[in-house]
Amino acid sequence: MIQMFIESLKNLVSKPETVKYPFAPSPEPKGYRGTILYNEELCIFCDKCENICPPGAIKFEVVDIESGKKQYNYNPYLCIYCGACVDACPKADEGCLTQAEVRTPVMGESVVKNPKLGYFINGVENPKDVEKKWRELEIRAAKSREDLAAYKKAKRAAAKAAKAKASK
Amino acid sequence: MGNKIIVPFGSQHVALPEPVSFLFETQNEVITDVTVNIGYVHRGIEKAAITKFEYTQLPYLVARVCGLCSITHAGAYTHGIEKLLGIETNKKIDYLRMLVVELDRIHSHMLANGHVAEVVGYENLFMQTFRYREDVMDILERITGNRVQYDYQIIGGVARDIDSETVKFAKEKLLTLKANTEKLIEFFENDYTFGLKTKGVGTISKEMAEKFNAAGPIARASGLATDARAEYDYLPFEEVGYKLQTRSEGDVWARNMVRFDEIMNSIEMCLNILEGIPEGEHKVKVKGRPDGETFVRVEAPRGECFYYLKGNKTKVLDRVRIRVPTYANIPVLKELFVGEKYSDAQAIVLSFDPCMSCTAR
Ligand code: SF4
Ligand code: SF4
Repeated sequence: MIQMFIESLKNLVSKPETVKYPFAPSPEPKGYRGTILYNEELCIFCDKCENICPPGAIKFEVVDIESGKKQYNYNPYLCIYCGACVDACPKADEGCLTQAEVRTPVMGESVVKNPKLGYFINGVENPKDVEKKWRELEIRAAKSREDLAAYKKAKRAAAKAAKAKASK
Repeated sequence: MGNKIIVPFGSQHVALPEPVSFLFETQNEVITDVTVNIGYVHRGIEKAAITKFEYTQLPYLVARVCGLCSITHAGAYTHGIEKLLGIETNKKIDYLRMLVVELDRIHSHMLANGHVAEVVGYENLFMQTFRYREDVMDILERITGNRVQYDYQIIGGVARDIDSETVKFAKEKLLTLKANTEKLIEFFENDYTFGLKTKGVGTISKEMAEKFNAAGPIARASGLATDARAEYDYLPFEEVGYKLQTRSEGDVWARNMVRFDEIMNSIEMCLNILEGIPEGEHKVKVKGRPDGETFVRVEAPRGECFYYLKGNKTKVLDRVRIRVPTYANIPVLKELFVGEKYSDAQAIVLSFDPCMSCTAR
C-alpha cells in the first residue's frame, strides 16, 4: 500500500510514457517493415511476389500481348506490409524488391507518389478513386493474363500447323 | 426471495474490450443462470483458408485470427505444414521461434493482469502494468519489424535474422522488465484491497477444472498441471529453462499470480535464449506440396491451441481447423457464474482473459 503510494508520487513527477502524436513525430523504430519499393530494371517478371502476396496488393498487367511485356502495379493502401514478397523475390538481394524502413504516408488529401511504387498508384490523382481503380485493374490484369495465354496457345497451334504442313 | 432480473453484459461493455454477450439471470444480486453468445466477430477465416488462399499465404492469414497471439497461430500453422512437407528446421530457427513465442506470452499475460486490475477498481495499477508492458512490445517490434502483426514465423524458418545490436537491446529491456514485474508482483500479491476483490472469488476446484477440461493458466491456477509446452514436442522449451507453473487456490487472484509466475519464467527463458543463440541459417529451403493430414498442439498465452490441417497435393489445403483456448474455457466459465455475485462477474470474466476474435475466427 505504502509502496504503491510512493510509486504514484514518483509517477506524478516522472516523464510521460506517451508521445504527443500527431503533434510530435512518432519515428519508426529500427528495422521497421515499411513500404515495398520496386526496381523495374532488375525484375525478371517471375511473378513470385504476385503469387505469394496474401491480400493481392501486387498485380502484374500484361500491356503488350505480342512481346508479353508486363507492368508492376502495387497498392500501398491494400498492402499489409508482411514482407512476404521480398522474401519470395529471387532478385531481392540485388535490390529489385525491397522493404523500406519508413511507413507509407496515410491517404489524406493526396495519393502518395514515388516512381518506385509501380504504375498503379502513380496514375491515380484522387484518393477517392484508389479503390475503384484498383478493382478495375484487378479485372483488367486477370483478363490480360487470359488474353496472353490464349494468344500463346494460338501461336503454338499455328506453329504446329505450319510444321505439319512443311513435313507433308 | 426477490424477482428474477436479467442483466445483459455485452456485447459492448465498458469492462470488456471484446464483443461477447452474457445474459445473467439474477436473483437478489446472485447469478442463477447465464446464457453466452460468442459469435459476434466471425470472419470465416477457416473457410477462406481453404478457398481463397494458397498454403504459402496462410501463415499471414491465420496470424490475423488474433491480435494478441498472432505468433502462436502462425507458429502452429507453420509447424503443421512443415510436418506435412517433411521439412527439418535447425536449432537456430527453433530458438528464434521460442524467443518470440515467449515474448508474446509475456505481453499477453501483462495485458490480462492489467485488465483485471482495472475492473476491480485499480485504474492506476492498470496503467502501470501497461506502461511496463511497453518494454516487451518494443523488443518484439525491434525483432520482427512490427508492433502487432509480427509475421515472423514463415514456412521453413523465420522472416529475418537477429543481429547483435538487437540482442543487446532486448537483453537490457528484459532486465528492466524483470525488475518492474517484480514490483508489480509485490503489489498484486500483498495489497489488501486488491485481495478483497479477488481472493476467494470465482474459485474453480481442481476437480471442476478437470471435469470441464479447462485449459491454460485457468487450469494451472487450480492446480491442474497441463501445458502443451510440456506435453507436446514442438519446440525445445526444456532446454532453455521452462518450468511448469501451478497455483492451488483457483480463484481470480491465483489466475493472476499464475500469469505472473509464467511471465517471470518466460523472461528467464528469453534471457537464456538471447545468451546463446545457435549459429546457422534462419531459413531452410521449402519444396513440395502438402499432402496428408496432421494436427498440432501449441501453448498459446491463454492455453492450448489446436490446429488440424489436411492437404491434397495441391496449393490449396482441404481443411484448416482451429480450436482456440478460450473456446475450451467457456463451459467452465458458464458453470462458475452460477452462485456468484453479479458484482464479481466482471473480474471473473476478465480473469479468464477471453479472446473472442480467436473464438469466433
Ligand atoms: S508486403 Fe505483403 S502485402 Fe505488401 S505487397 Fe508484399 S506480400 Fe503483399
Ligand atoms: S519476385 Fe522480384 S523478380 Fe520476380 S516479378 Fe516480383 S519483383 Fe520481379
